[in-house]
Amino acid sequence: MLRLDQVSAKRGNVVALEDISLSLSPGNTLAVVGESGAGKSTLIATILGLLRPSKGTITWNGAEVSTCRPSLVMQEPRSAFNPAHPLLRSVLEPIVGQRATVPTERIERLCTGLELPQQLLNRRPSEVSIGQAQRVGILRALIATPPLVLFDEPLSALDAVTQKHTARLIADLQREEGFAALIVTHDLGYAVAHADEIAVLKSGRIEEVATPESFAVAPKSDYCKTLRDAAIALGALEAVG
Amino acid sequence: MTLHVSGLSAARSGRTILHPTSLEIELGARIGLVGASGSGKSTLGHALVDELRTQGRSVAHVPQSPDEALDPLRSMAFHWQEAEKALGLHTGTADQPMLFEALKIAGGDLKKRPWGWSRGMQQRFVIAMALIGSPDLIVLDEPTSALDPVVAAATMDLLDRHLQDRDTAMMLITHDLGLAARRVSTLMVMQDGEIVERASTQDILERPQTSAAQSLSAHRNWMALPC
Amino acid sequence: MIGTVAGLILRAIVVLSGTAIITFALLWNAPGDPAQAIAMARFDALLTEDVIDQVREEVGLNTSFWSAFVDWIAPLLVLDFGYSSVTGRPVGPDLWVAITYTFPLAVMALAIGLAISLPLAIIATKNPGGMLDRLAVATASMGTAIPAFWLGLLLILLFAVQLNWLPAMGARTPVHSILPAMTLGFGIAASLTRIIRSGILEARDQPFLPAIRRRGVPVRAIGRDHIAPHAAVPVVTVVGLELAFLLEGLVVVEVIFGRPGLGTFLTSAIVARDFPHVQAVVVLVALVFVTVNLIIDLIYKRIDPRIGEHDA
Repeated sequence: MLRLDQVSAKRGNVVALEDISLSLSPGNTLAVVGESGAGKSTLIATILGLLRPSKGTITWNGAEVSTCRPSLVMQEPRSAFNPAHPLLRSVLEPIVGQRATVPTERIERLCTGLELPQQLLNRRPSEVSIGQAQRVGILRALIATPPLVLFDEPLSALDAVTQKHTARLIADLQREEGFAALIVTHDLGYAVAHADEIAVLKSGRIEEVATPESFAVAPKSDYCKTLRDAAIALGALEAVG
Repeated sequence: MTLHVSGLSAARSGRTILHPTSLEIELGARIGLVGASGSGKSTLGHALVDELRTQGRSVAHVPQSPDEALDPLRSMAFHWQEAEKALGLHTGTADQPMLFEALKIAGGDLKKRPWGWSRGMQQRFVIAMALIGSPDLIVLDEPTSALDPVVAAATMDLLDRHLQDRDTAMMLITHDLGLAARRVSTLMVMQDGEIVERASTQDILERPQTSAAQSLSAHRNWMALPC
Repeated sequence: MIGTVAGLILRAIVVLSGTAIITFALLWNAPGDPAQAIAMARFDALLTEDVIDQVREEVGLNTSFWSAFVDWIAPLLVLDFGYSSVTGRPVGPDLWVAITYTFPLAVMALAIGLAISLPLAIIATKNPGGMLDRLAVATASMGTAIPAFWLGLLLILLFAVQLNWLPAMGARTPVHSILPAMTLGFGIAASLTRIIRSGILEARDQPFLPAIRRRGVPVRAIGRDHIAPHAAVPVVTVVGLELAFLLEGLVVVEVIFGRPGLGTFLTSAIVARDFPHVQAVVVLVALVFVTVNLIIDLIYKRIDPRIGEHDA
């Protein structure tokens, strides 16, 4: 399991994360919710080992996180691919040099799960819709069967309908594959609907960690209540009764 | 008074992206224009604003992000004066304190350039500019997508409150039926460059007729919360 | 703001010191014996070793590199350029005379360049890809390809020899600077036209312009208040670089038109191995470059304070 133990991190001289402790078990989803500047991107960079924490430890089953080869799904699906290459070539990047042959079966399986026609992978990024591109991004992230997948605002470039569709596909695949998912998002609605646990990040600190149910019904802190009310005011969540 | 437009259309590199469309907008109406991305909503918004402007109506357009509305090399004061001048007003005659108060940006330093303000403040400034001289119609194109939810919700609330007792009609363009449903009374659903359904918000939510409306309605929010 | 200005000035000082050391090292290690050349230039005859050694000592060529460098740089720091090693006269006044011929010519050339290129670029961008635009681009490309010495001779042939409107050689009256200024100005206009044109076209693609147009701002005002400042950033850069082109062109043009300016001053000093004259010009050129760059950076800061700032 992924464990962050009192992690702090700096961006230049600015403390971007302070005293973060979190854990995430295989098969589970942890949503990290926060506004821009709250430290979400720093958190991802720190878990991926791109940024060394100034304090604390990050481990996967007690070892360095890099040992489990986590993968990342980025926010802007099109810019995540080389525009000159067919998508298939980008998809195979994580396993270049590891396998002699293209894992046809795995691609087939993931394509079915992500509702992507396989021929689509022969196109270039500009020739598919943004929703399809993001599903290809997820396909690439999963091709090497990583036990931990990080999602950095995976839905924010998509429209409302495509968002919900994609979120459901991610959840279904996770049930089959059993990876641990850490989802960073500003959309509380997404977090409430799909996470097992929600951590709210504010100014680099954890404001509250709670289950979606308790979060939605009775947020403990004022800030979390503001977040929930905003999600309702914007129609992401619907208040009933 | 009603705003009329007819025969709005648009094509890009030989492909029709907006089929001939006619609209009628009542005074003080709250209209939502919803549809999937690429359905032609923004194009219709642009065509509508441009057409009404040639009719001599006063209309305002608020683009998706402040980057598309403000020149980074020019101060906020410059933008404000420019907008006043464009409406034929003398500098300083628009009720800036009232608008700034209404949108809660009264503390902003107008000598600064846009990037000296937060994005939320910039967006509210753009909306305030759009409200100078109480236009007949204000078109908001995805006004919340560039903002954090808390700021976005507050901005929409402030705008609602400001428009409450005014004649200014509002058109909200969004891919998110959940957002539109909370803000407007009438909805128009777009698909492939055409308005395929027009009805009250209530009807679209409960009895969507077309597949586009059904899909939007089914996916309008993540969850219903018992509150 | 004060911090950035201080940083820019510090950078200017570093550039100037570097220029000084490199210039000195180049001349110090130049092939041939400068003492012999000086002696020959001064006495105009074949000379004995004794006389050459005497000259060597007199102009300080017999010491080590660094002590010679210090001896050399110290007076320069207070703008004392010393005495010509050929004529023995102080360099300062002669240099000043050369500047009074060259500076007005440079300003005139730059003015001609801007006066031609600015309207041309604006006309060209009225309809990008149209007849006028293509004509302007073609003219500009041709202008860049024509060397100054050829254009200069052509202008002499036309205006001085054929039409007899303007004087060809010398620098007695301001009228004498018209042909050389035109020669330089056309070259500048050619490259500036292309830069201003692409600057305007790029500025027109700014994402906020449609919104400003929809606000009802007139086209002319948009051009003046929004497109011009964005187009100015690359143009200011190039105007600074044009200065390099200008200095290079000045040498050629002054020789062609027989003007006693800096170019002539420099070429005759090089031929005569007049060490103090050469270094005075080099120091002056470096000073001008650094000052111009400083001014350009300050203009940038004025147009867009974000330029050069390192934020994440």
